[in-house]
Amino acid sequence: MAGPEVKDQYKVSPFLVFYLVHSVQVGVGVMGFQRISAEHAGNDAWISVLAAGLSLNVIIFLIYKIMMKEKGDLISLHQNLFGKWLGGFLSLIAIAYFIAMGITVLRTYIEVVQVWMFPDLNKWIFGTVFLLLVYYCLSGGFRVVAGISFFGVVLPFYLVLTMIFPLFYGHFRDLLPFFNHSIKEMYEGVKGASLSYLGFTTLFMYLPFIKEPEKSHRWAQGGHLLTVFIYTLVMITTLAFFSPEQLQKTIWATLTTWKIAEMPFVQRFEYIGIASWALVILPNLCITIWAGGRGIRRLSRISQRNVTIPILVFVLISSSLFARRESIDLLNEYTSKVGFFFVYVYVPFLFVVQYIKGKVDGAG
Amino acid sequence: MVKNMLRWLKKSRSPDKLKNLPELIRNLKDSGDFLHHESKQKDSSFFIYYFKTLVHETELNDHILPYLVEKPLKTLQDIPERVPIPGVIISDDLKEICEKVMRGYVIIRLNANAKDCALIPSQVKKARAVTQPEVEFTVVGSKEAFVESLDTNMHLVRKRLPVHELKAYELTVGKLTNTKVVVLYLDGIANEENVNTVKQRLEDIKVDQIVDSSVLMQLITDNRNSPFPQLIDTERPDRVTSVLCEGKVVVLSDGSPQALIGPTTLVEFFSAFEDYFVNWIVASSARLIRIFAILFSILVTPVYVATLTYHYELIPKDLLGTLVSSRQRIPLPPILEAIFLELSIELLREAGARLPTKVGQTIGIVGGIVIGTASVEAGLTSNVLLIIVALSALASFTTPVYRMSNTIRLTRFPFLLFAHLWGLLGVTVCFSFLIAHLLKLKSLGRPFLEPLYPLRVQDLKDAIIRFPLKFQNKRPIHLQSEDTVRFTPVTEKEKNDFHE
Repeated sequence: MAGPEVKDQYKVSPFLVFYLVHSVQVGVGVMGFQRISAEHAGNDAWISVLAAGLSLNVIIFLIYKIMMKEKGDLISLHQNLFGKWLGGFLSLIAIAYFIAMGITVLRTYIEVVQVWMFPDLNKWIFGTVFLLLVYYCLSGGFRVVAGISFFGVVLPFYLVLTMIFPLFYGHFRDLLPFFNHSIKEMYEGVKGASLSYLGFTTLFMYLPFIKEPEKSHRWAQGGHLLTVFIYTLVMITTLAFFSPEQLQKTIWATLTTWKIAEMPFVQRFEYIGIASWALVILPNLCITIWAGGRGIRRLSRISQRNVTIPILVFVLISSSLFARRESIDLLNEYTSKVGFFFVYVYVPFLFVVQYIKGKVDGAG
Repeated sequence: MVKNMLRWLKKSRSPDKLKNLPELIRNLKDSGDFLHHESKQKDSSFFIYYFKTLVHETELNDHILPYLVEKPLKTLQDIPERVPIPGVIISDDLKEICEKVMRGYVIIRLNANAKDCALIPSQVKKARAVTQPEVEFTVVGSKEAFVESLDTNMHLVRKRLPVHELKAYELTVGKLTNTKVVVLYLDGIANEENVNTVKQRLEDIKVDQIVDSSVLMQLITDNRNSPFPQLIDTERPDRVTSVLCEGKVVVLSDGSPQALIGPTTLVEFFSAFEDYFVNWIVASSARLIRIFAILFSILVTPVYVATLTYHYELIPKDLLGTLVSSRQRIPLPPILEAIFLELSIELLREAGARLPTKVGQTIGIVGGIVIGTASVEAGLTSNVLLIIVALSALASFTTPVYRMSNTIRLTRFPFLLFAHLWGLLGVTVCFSFLIAHLLKLKSLGRPFLEPLYPLRVQDLKDAIIRFPLKFQNKRPIHLQSEDTVRFTPVTEKEKNDFHE
């Protein structure tokens, strides 16, 4: 199967990959990844966060290695490596994973809103309006999706400044001594931290939409490094601000730190933060659902417009079915596990298979 | 009814239904201002027909008729040779004859049954004198504005751009009005694709009347279902000249004192032409104030509603005291209070726009002050909100393009509803809708949000901040100009030291 042909007018500049990668990573995870990461690694959690981030740079490198050879997307890659049926099946799993990511993001965000802002928010109505917004963006094609992810990074970027407030109250001695945890604990920390980095595997789907994709490699790495920087910063601030026991009881540590921000005209900053976060969530949903719809369109003859509406309805229904805190946690855990496997096992596996197949074909 | 009229129109007006010239002339004689007389000389005679309301009669008597009677006319071919006016046509094409006579040509026939005739141009050119710009007035800079006559407008542009590259593509639009429309562009600078898009869209227009360029604008715009204007209209010939030099395309239409400019971007709607007349620091700060004013105008009332409906906790204690005491006696929820005030401001504006100027001012002052004070005293609205609404109305008027300020005021209402629904979260959701909408918009096929998205650093030189003219030496990328360099700046070597 050949790679998809995308007309030049629908392609976006390679520099936007920076925003596409960054915006899909920073989602609901950053609101509360600290607890999971610090559970095992304690005050060394920031090292785990940094290590997890840097290890993913290698994975992005692998993705680009694979895709530059393939010159297509994940669907054509699967087809070429595993044949029509097995390849198609694997593609379906990937599509399901992308859509599951969308469900997780939407449901978790609605939960945050319900807990922090509107306890009686009707998740059906809000979900419908938000997904209508997503549909409106998607109907503009990938160009608009990339634009939304651009604004989804630039506009809420001021929120990074709010990390200054906890610094006034932080105890940076809590970070000492460095490296006082075992390798095993650190690894658990890395595992916990890597979950919040996931999502960039959508690269597999949208690379054909980038002009001169080989040039976008450094932008992808750059976007990821920005995420690593922000996460490490947030982690250090959190470790300084909370005591270890307190952190273990705080589900959304980032939101809690916002509570202390105070300016002459505004206090209780988390309201503004959570509201602004809608702009961060939107590209997340757009990219994942776009990737899902694009995958189905590539697998079958159904047009992406016709397939997007059922996907959105499915996302709405299934995300609303998760009603209790535990089930949302479970949803998060499972998507993370699949994502973890996808990134650290499946991508290197694809790389090896492609390498071997290339050798065999070259020899034969 | 409409069908009947159409049929009647077809029967009586369309020259293809008339068989020959005599029949056409008989048809034209139905109108009272259609004059015809016969000039009888010794050995030759000719017939002359024209609309007296379209023809410059002094010119006809002084510069045309004497030449026709000085020697006997043998054939029609003699007429172009004798009459010292360019543009004399000899034709037997009924459609052309009809078109020309309706544009102020004089028909000359040698005998009453002839199939062909000579057409001599002698239009009366009545036009308002060139006056000061009213909508886009600037304190410094040219005081000329376009008028309703296409020729005058073309003159105003041509005298500012005396180069042969300035091309004017002419066409007529409108089945009944036959409005002359001109597409202006600089050959070799404007992108050919842009020019062709405009030409194509103008040619595809199928309507009966074009009374103003604003109608044209709605017909050739990219997304007709968007409240945002995607072409700029201006009444300043100097602005037209300046955008032509940038590589844009301009559309002038007869009978309209507004020129259309495209392709354009969102930030251009917030740049006044005066920005180029003042120092770049002053101009840039004015632009920043304007952009702040727009955001303020759209967001501040919704944020007020959102905060007071849902998020009291956001406001620090001291400030909350002021707010609460001003709202103490108000029986209405914030949303009704806000909508009441916003609507009354809209009412005042609409009334002011419809009334004659002098009455309008009185209404504005009396209505504004009296209604405002009375509604606060009656306890219908809080004075804090009154201040906010008045300020945001004021802020919306800072947009240099009138059309955009209408849009901005309209945008506020969905924001208000969303704010009432979900507080600040609703405001963000509505804002996302706005961004998505703007992302989808195009102006003549070029992205509307450029240079913000797609981000083009080079074009930022004249967007939110206007950098010094020295840096404006390249044409904007989004115009895809065929000649990207405007000029090469002379770099003077300065002594890299303090003055001694």
